[in-house]
Amino acid sequence: MSKPTDLLQGTLDLLILKTLALEPMHGWAIAQRIQQLSKDVLQVQQGSLYPALHRLEQQAWIEAEWGESDNNRRAKYYSLTKAGRKQLERESISWERLSSAISAIVRA
Amino acid sequence: MRWLKKLRLRFRSVFQRAALERELDDELRFHFDRQVERNIVAGMNPEKARLAAAREFGQIALHKDECRDARRTSMIENFWEDSRYAVRNLRRDPFLALTATLTLAVCIGANTTVFSVANSILIRPLPYPNSDRIDWISERNGPAQQDIGAAPDYFALRERNRIFTDVAAFQITDVTLTGVERPEKLDTASVSPSFFRVMAAQPLLGRYLSDDEEGPKAPPIVVLSYEFWHNRMGSDPQILGKTLALDRLSRTIVGVMPQGFDFPHGTQLWTPAMSLDPPSQRFPISPDKPILIVSMLARRKPSVGPVEAATEMKRLSFAIGALYPQEMRKLGFRSDLVIGATPLQDYLAGPLRTALSILAGSVVLVLLIACANIANLLLARAGSRQRELAVRMALGSGRGRIIRQMLTESLVLAIPGGAAGIVLAWLAVSVLNTAKPAILVRYPAISMDWRVLAFTIALMLATSLVFGIVPALSSAGIQIQDALKSAGLTQSAGRGATRARRILVVAELGVSLVLLIGAGLLARSFLRMMHVQLGFSSDHLLTFRVDPIGYSFDRNYGPFYSEILDRLQHLPMVRSAALVDDIPLSHNQYPATGAIRVVGRPIVPVPERPRVDTNEVSPEFFETLGISLRSGRIFSAHDFVGMPAGPRPGLLSREMVLVSESFVRRIFPGQDPLGQQLVFGPDDLNIRWTIAGVVSDIRNTAIGDLPSMIYRCTCGAPQFRLGFLVRTAVPPGNAIRPLEREVRAVDRDQPISDVKTMDERRDAALAPERFQLILLGSFASIAIILAAAGVYGTMSYLVARRTREIGIRMAMGARAADVLRMMLAETTILVLLAIGAGFGGAWALTRYIRSMLYGVSELDPMTFVVTSVLLAAIVLAASLGPARRAVRIDPMTALREE
Repeated sequence: MSKPTDLLQGTLDLLILKTLALEPMHGWAIAQRIQQLSKDVLQVQQGSLYPALHRLEQQAWIEAEWGESDNNRRAKYYSLTKAGRKQLERESISWERLSSAISAIVRA
Repeated sequence: MRWLKKLRLRFRSVFQRAALERELDDELRFHFDRQVERNIVAGMNPEKARLAAAREFGQIALHKDECRDARRTSMIENFWEDSRYAVRNLRRDPFLALTATLTLAVCIGANTTVFSVANSILIRPLPYPNSDRIDWISERNGPAQQDIGAAPDYFALRERNRIFTDVAAFQITDVTLTGVERPEKLDTASVSPSFFRVMAAQPLLGRYLSDDEEGPKAPPIVVLSYEFWHNRMGSDPQILGKTLALDRLSRTIVGVMPQGFDFPHGTQLWTPAMSLDPPSQRFPISPDKPILIVSMLARRKPSVGPVEAATEMKRLSFAIGALYPQEMRKLGFRSDLVIGATPLQDYLAGPLRTALSILAGSVVLVLLIACANIANLLLARAGSRQRELAVRMALGSGRGRIIRQMLTESLVLAIPGGAAGIVLAWLAVSVLNTAKPAILVRYPAISMDWRVLAFTIALMLATSLVFGIVPALSSAGIQIQDALKSAGLTQSAGRGATRARRILVVAELGVSLVLLIGAGLLARSFLRMMHVQLGFSSDHLLTFRVDPIGYSFDRNYGPFYSEILDRLQHLPMVRSAALVDDIPLSHNQYPATGAIRVVGRPIVPVPERPRVDTNEVSPEFFETLGISLRSGRIFSAHDFVGMPAGPRPGLLSREMVLVSESFVRRIFPGQDPLGQQLVFGPDDLNIRWTIAGVVSDIRNTAIGDLPSMIYRCTCGAPQFRLGFLVRTAVPPGNAIRPLEREVRAVDRDQPISDVKTMDERRDAALAPERFQLILLGSFASIAIILAAAGVYGTMSYLVARRTREIGIRMAMGARAADVLRMMLAETTILVLLAIGAGFGGAWALTRYIRSMLYGVSELDPMTFVVTSVLLAAIVLAASLGPARRAVRIDPMTALREE
């Protein structure tokens, strides 16, 4: 298995928002989910995950609530706000544009 | 609603810090635990699972810090923590704290003082409603724009302009308060009724002038200033309707202006302008009537911008110039009229602008030197703090965080200095207000307001940034491993810091040299002015004016003045006395200059004719001042016997004038001036003045110039109010009362005014230069003291740093002299670099004080050389102590030390 790819700056925000669009989740689960969905290609470091979560919260794109986790421990659950949903749309569109542009060049 | 959420989050971040910290802990702990669980599920034993999770997790503290940073308000929290830390740190280093505070107090104080002056005069709006719309009207006819204009233009401007709501005319005069024990001159403005509307002032009591109270038919009324009403009338609430005897005329008090209404500055009374007589002063005007000279103000309409105003003034200049009769314009009068409008504040501040800019520039330079000095101290300290910082960085502080902390420390260091600076500035401003240097006399008291406070705070922030940035960057560049390994053995920062210190010292010295050169140039110019030959002796010379009321030139000025002169000449304490129109060295508001034409030379338009200064003097003038006769003769009263009194119409070939040597050099180079005839002003006046004699030059108006003078005689029928020059046999101060008694023996209602000895006038004429010199001189002194301290600090530091090296050198056989030479070489390089930098700076900057220099070039080599020698001497003196310390190094101790 090759080394997990480092995330592009700013892409992490998009991934977090996308992950949270499904259901509210705590930080660890978000990291796991991203790793799973990317088939272990993307591995989120705690050092970038939590600052990103706090930053998104400050932007009021996600909000946090303390809840019970599956093994009955208190965990901080993040969920998408209305503004966050819009932000996700915006970021998805710009990501589509960017990635298709890059693929076009790489394949050319 | 997003902003509301955001706001709540920010609020929480600041005020519920403890709760947030707990939550952050819990959150990360949860993550960690899950990681451990997963590792166990994957088959690790608990111990190994824990270690693996920890390895993956990395530095918890750093992540936490980044999370806090994400909350953004951590800036505030960090600032608070850093400040407390900085205060603790500074307490351990009282020398640094004290030095920085004192230095900053003096420098920020000086800057704040200069800014307070600039703020009061240049920046803060004048205390009149919408004062930015009040314009001062100036007129140019001939070479230069003048502050004054002609009354017909006032009427024309009022009627024809499209940009002003009102135009006002006024004259600054004085009236005599009569009917009292000791008559007294009161500063008065005689104004058009529109004056108060232009100033948008409301009276405190009663009213001001109504529209019809203008011209000769205006009723005898007067409006009082608040100060006059308060100080002289005891704030009498029933004052309206009472009368004042002014110039022997009883005037009814109709109003009192509010406190702070002080225009023109110092005015005690406002009276209607009686001489603004529409029939004689309005267009069409006739060339044979004298035109009244007035000052003018106007209030611009709110919608009018500067471009529109300029266009309109151009149009008005052209239109009004065309209103003057053909025969006047043919002579050049008003052929080239330019009427200008300048915002009143700019006009008032005009004379001070250059002086203030130079002072402001100098204090900023001094402050920069102070910054360099403190930066130097901080660099020295940064060396000894390397380990502390390295530990912090090893524990996870980012470089940005370290820089921020260092900058916070420098801010904490600057705050007491800034506060003390405000106090110092407050003291300095009170001293300025009490002492009132001549340069500020024409302006209201200096005061400090929120702008000054804001300025000082901004200055303090900027200062701390400037002196903190170099040390902060240099400490952030520390190599952690090296610093930790050296474990406190070396106390020195790296090469970079040493170079930074050298550069700072060179910069400091260079800037000080610029200031020294500036002060030196002013000092040399001042000495030149002090030693200027006045052309007469100012010793024991008393001067005063008598502006008689109830007299006029066509009736009895002549007998009045001759009787006083006669009485004065018979006093035993008087050596000699003379009458004069313009007292030499008095700052006359309207200096008497005029265009002349030499009879027999081609007639050119008036504006192209040579302009010369004229003065009316009695024959004793020359003897009293000690002016010598070069050729011809001095006129005497006999020359004028039998001449009719009053303005002399018709042809009188016996009219005689005396001229100065400068006049002859300029107008009659290589010719015999005696017997030549001159015509003043428009040719149709037809009086031909014959030059009867040539006298030696004197300085008449200002110390700077040597004017071309024409003297006319006051003999018989003086046309002007006159002053007296009295050479006394006793100290002039003792002569004032007796002289005043003689004047009042002739007419008891006449006060004497503007009483000054010639020495006082001479001092007053130099007052602006002296003020500049003292200020720039003291700034330069502060600068050089600071720079010397900087040199001392740096050299001490270098010696301390090289102790081991010097020890080895001495152990290898270097003698004391060699070590001394080495240290001096170091100093010499610094000095030479500084002199180079200083010369460059001075070359670029001294041109801005060119206008203030008299008889000295702004690149005067003498000043440059002397000041650099002085600088070198001071630097050598400052580095002598450290050099001696280097010489005394004991090789054994030095080598053992490290």
